[in-house]
Amino acid sequence: MKSDSPMLLIGIGTAGCAMARGVGRAFGEDIRCVLVDTDATSGEAGGDFVLIGGDRLSGRGAGGNIVAGRLAAEVSIRMIDDRLEDVRLAVIVTALGGGTGGGATLEAAKHLAAHGIPSVVFATTPFVFEGDDRQRNSRGVMTMIEDAANATFFLPLDKLIGDTDNMADALRRAVDTVASGVTLFWRLVEKPGYIRLDTERLRHLLAGAGRGRFAAVTVQGPGRAAEAVDRLMRSEMLAASSGPVKSALCGILAGDDLLLSEVGTVADGVRNAFGGLSFDLATVNDEATFSGRLSVVVMLFEAGTRAEGETASGSVMGSRRRRTGKGVLGVGPSGRGRFKNAEPTVWRDEDLDIPTFIRKNLSLDF
Amino acid sequence: MNNIYAALELGTTRTVLAIGEAETGGRLKVTCHAETPSAGVRKSQILNIQDATQSIRSVLREIERKQEASGAKITIGNAFLVVSGQHVRADPFSAPVQVEGARVTAEDMEAAIRAAHSMPTSRDRELLDIVEQDYVLDSMGGIPSPKGMAGRLLRLNTLHVHGDRNRIQDARTAADAAHLEIRDPLFATTCAAEAVLEDHERKNGVLLIDLGGGSTGYAVYSDGYLAAMEVIGVGGDHVTNDIAHAFQTTNTQAEGLKIREASATVGGDDGASARVRVDPGENTLLDNRTISRRALNVVVNARLLELFTVIRERLEELDLVHRLHAGVVLVGGGARMRNIDALAEQAFGASVRPGRPIHVDGLDEEPFAPSYAAIAGALLYAHRNYEEKSILDGLLGRFFSR
Repeated sequence: MKSDSPMLLIGIGTAGCAMARGVGRAFGEDIRCVLVDTDATSGEAGGDFVLIGGDRLSGRGAGGNIVAGRLAAEVSIRMIDDRLEDVRLAVIVTALGGGTGGGATLEAAKHLAAHGIPSVVFATTPFVFEGDDRQRNSRGVMTMIEDAANATFFLPLDKLIGDTDNMADALRRAVDTVASGVTLFWRLVEKPGYIRLDTERLRHLLAGAGRGRFAAVTVQGPGRAAEAVDRLMRSEMLAASSGPVKSALCGILAGDDLLLSEVGTVADGVRNAFGGLSFDLATVNDEATFSGRLSVVVMLFEAGTRAEGETASGSVMGSRRRRTGKGVLGVGPSGRGRFKNAEPTVWRDEDLDIPTFIRKNLSLDF
Repeated sequence: MNNIYAALELGTTRTVLAIGEAETGGRLKVTCHAETPSAGVRKSQILNIQDATQSIRSVLREIERKQEASGAKITIGNAFLVVSGQHVRADPFSAPVQVEGARVTAEDMEAAIRAAHSMPTSRDRELLDIVEQDYVLDSMGGIPSPKGMAGRLLRLNTLHVHGDRNRIQDARTAADAAHLEIRDPLFATTCAAEAVLEDHERKNGVLLIDLGGGSTGYAVYSDGYLAAMEVIGVGGDHVTNDIAHAFQTTNTQAEGLKIREASATVGGDDGASARVRVDPGENTLLDNRTISRRALNVVVNARLLELFTVIRERLEELDLVHRLHAGVVLVGGGARMRNIDALAEQAFGASVRPGRPIHVDGLDEEPFAPSYAAIAGALLYAHRNYEEKSILDGLLGRFFSR
């Protein structure tokens, strides 16, 4: 595991762990990464694996139960603490719809915020054909994750599927898409090109970003810059979903053959296509990976999802944003929830302010 | 005018104000009572004095409105304060006195009472009550009245009930700001016992459980006197919190689920639908969301059974659990919970009844009178133990008579 990077990649849940490994492959080098799951079999493929909810779930997974996944993380997410040293930005990859992806991601984002580490979440949402329960699981937790993390990208799997894709193709495409977005951060920081974006600027940019959408295209040959812009403009992944763009981050990844005129074409095209109050551009110069090719990754953050300067809970950047007047109760790492500031009630070494069903490891039949 | 008393209960979920008036024959009647939601209180302790003050102002306005509607003309300037919370404790105390002659006289008993009341209260505690228990003559205890008995050393066992002075002062401060003077603080659980228990129950052994919003008090009476009491910092608010945590709902939604749908027992929901709709409230994302009724009941049952288990284990430590021949009496807002009586029967192996304030009149029309047991008992306690003092006396007085 590479340990000197200021960024940490966290894969959560079985699919999240798989995506994190895919990110590592896409980056092509060792990447600072930890894999977190309730299912012990996820660790068999290697990597720095942390099994959570061990006593409660015995390594058998959360069984699609989002509460079980959340509780597992709540009691064991601190197991990743020794991996958080000197981390300035954490990127979480996961899949919503199941138990661990949705439940543990929420707790992980809260935990990172408590440590003052901004987090960016890339999460796929289920295919429609996966059924109402998984869709409901996904919808129910998205807002909460959005509230806990600094920046979120929710990627509907239905939008990633091509007309001729089989299941394996669709999932591979999902992994590739997530990897293209996630690796952008590593490339921007570790392989900067003509226009740099350092970790602190990236951290500041993402700290108040809120919900975003992103797309990546790779083209080659003559006119590749214009074609990249054209394909981005037609990308369903960047189609407006809930509001106008507040800010944009554009990364151009290329080899030594990148021309400044191409940078100008992409920057102008993206800015004109998507607008936004602020626009950050960075280039990556990686001959080994991009020789002859031009990849453009665009991240758009929507206005209204997070006010200027506001950040996720516990962030070093500011105080918690309240999404609604009567928000969902935050229980936090301690589990004491709304009693966290009250004198505790302890009986036989148990804190009775923590919900009984948690302390008794009761399974809830949802 | 008959003696009139007012009592204020500043609870975690609700603020209650009641007026009681002495009737001919020595009984007391609750002539008016009002209830409004509380704010600024958690686990029976004030966390925000401004919010608590607002709660008191609201209940004063509400009782004013009710009084005006009924044509009454009463000004409330002062009230007794009903106190609960896990800061309340009871310590046993007794001090021996020498019996002057060969047999115990009334003077000896008075001396024993004075000695038992002589225990100083530490500066950070405020005395709420001194409950007299049994007399002990030499080595023989359990004596209700030793007058005429032979012996050398006499003592009276007592329980000194006291609370955190600062917590009580916070309530006073909030009331003062609402222009309501607090006369004396009274302990909620023993007040409730005053209103709902029969003498024969106290003699045969009874457990009274006051299920409040932020805490739960219990009192065991055996052989006619208070044998033990305690307040546990777990109440209906914890049930609400557990539901909200388990099902990712707002507090308001969880409270609605608790009141409308939840059962203290799991299973046996004859005819009830398997799933329960969550009121979406302001959260349109949760529209048409349903949860498993069984899961809801598992969450509630776990919390309440644990609470009863804590009480039972405490009584076992005190060797009192097998002395509850008159059963268990449930009061407080939590006693409204569906099937709470069945759960208590299961936990204590005793018969269970809701505690209606049988020694106080005026609450017959109240849909769930056991939730007013403490405040009714406080009025009754004041009527029996305090000299007359008009409730018109007060700091500024609230004048709403015409």
